[in-house]
Amino acid sequence: MKFKILLAGDGGQGVQTIAKIVSECFFVKNFEVSSIPNYGLEQRGGVSLSFIQVSDKKIFYPKFAKADFLLLMSDQARERTLEHVSDDTEIIDFKNYQEIILQNKISRSSLNIFFLGVVAKFLVEKSLIVKDDVFVIFEKKLASKKNWEENKQVFEVGFLI
Amino acid sequence: MLEKRFLNGHEVLVEACIDAGAMQMFGYPITPTTEILSGWINKSLQNKNLHCLQTEDEVAAGFAVCGAIMAGQKAFTATAGPGTVLMQDALSMADGMRLPFVALIGQRGGPSSGTVIYSQQEVNLAIHGGNGEGLRIVLSPSNLEEMYTLTRKVFNYAYKYRFPSILLTDGYLLKTRQSFSLPETKIENQKLLALVDEASQKNIRNIYTLEKELMSELEKNKQDFEEMSKEIVEFEIYLGDNSLDEIEDLIIAHGIVGAVAKEAVDELNKQNKKVALFRPITLSPFPKDELNKLAKKIKNIFVCESSLGQLHDLVKQNLEVTTKISGIFKPAVGVEVEEIVDLVLSNK
Repeated sequence: MKFKILLAGDGGQGVQTIAKIVSECFFVKNFEVSSIPNYGLEQRGGVSLSFIQVSDKKIFYPKFAKADFLLLMSDQARERTLEHVSDDTEIIDFKNYQEIILQNKISRSSLNIFFLGVVAKFLVEKSLIVKDDVFVIFEKKLASKKNWEENKQVFEVGFLI
Repeated sequence: MLEKRFLNGHEVLVEACIDAGAMQMFGYPITPTTEILSGWINKSLQNKNLHCLQTEDEVAAGFAVCGAIMAGQKAFTATAGPGTVLMQDALSMADGMRLPFVALIGQRGGPSSGTVIYSQQEVNLAIHGGNGEGLRIVLSPSNLEEMYTLTRKVFNYAYKYRFPSILLTDGYLLKTRQSFSLPETKIENQKLLALVDEASQKNIRNIYTLEKELMSELEKNKQDFEEMSKEIVEFEIYLGDNSLDEIEDLIIAHGIVGAVAKEAVDELNKQNKKVALFRPITLSPFPKDELNKLAKKIKNIFVCESSLGQLHDLVKQNLEVTTKISGIFKPAVGVEVEEIVDLVLSNK
């Protein structure tokens, strides 16, 4: 078994935070995990990608050609990830969530946590992670940061869609 | 089984340097090795025996390493890309003075600033970047466990044989986060070498008045290097399900591309291709005899690398048979398993 995940957004949107939490969830479930960020010289404004693989066997190479699952958080990211999409790639596209984001008044700074919830639900349904693990790791990483209460609620909004 | 942890490549490297007995790091931040510097700084805040200086550039960092080594400190540096270019001045001094200079190099795309993440384009620079004869030890790891073990070896070789020693890795391995376990076998550290005894005077030279004097010094160094080579040369032959006698095709790759090629061998085995992988772990000294022994029986050689032919040239330079060589040459870009499989299958 090998499942390949590509997370994509603009630099500064928090793609790497989602990647860290998700990949740690795989690790605590005793899967072999490989996670690698990919970005250019520009730390903001460019596209920020994260290639994650989860498997029951040791993973040697951190990149992959085609993703099984793709999260898109910006238009720019869509363009940049075209080469990694196949007919079988399951895609979560931010464009399809605009109404929910507006209805729930989700701020720009919490957008990645909303999508962490959406991604977590997708992966829980695939039996690759457990929701409690996500929350424990999410809390460990972000509870001391500002907007924690807001982030907690936003995560639930994303997870319960 | 030792504890499994979820670590980045740069965290593994910092741990390996501490376990190797390194006391001091000099460096200048550059992606993808910045986190080695910041990781070492964090450790030095917790352990007063570890020291660190961020210098004004890589030239200063390199010469600070030379100075600290001569003063009896186990010192090292880490750099990448254009930083590796600047580091050549100090590395060349270390070549000349036979200093146990340890450098961790994280290859990125070039020339110049290129890209910040990944490449295999610093092979030539690591081996032959100085104005000398390329008498440097260069080791190329393919995964995190090997990265740890080879870093320990790099320190030990530097101090045992007194040649500058380089761990040549890349941004993919440094930035990748994977499960990691320490090796089960304990690695002993080579004793720290006091290059200059305080009670005595010693002139360690890097400049010569007489041309012939320099030549005889270099000949002696070359002889020492060749003698050492027999002891440290390292490689992997991965056969998959095949036996050595039935191999027809050989893939040659180093570093992380070597890891990819291993998966390609497994895939090709499923399709009944009699193919194996030869992975040089010591790029310098190159495992020449071992490659030639294997290559005699081979019909096709495929060199796969993330450069336009730096490994290919090294292979050609060492190969004594005229086996046909083709390959995948992708500077600054990774090589996928499927590409290697297609290359071998499409070969007529």
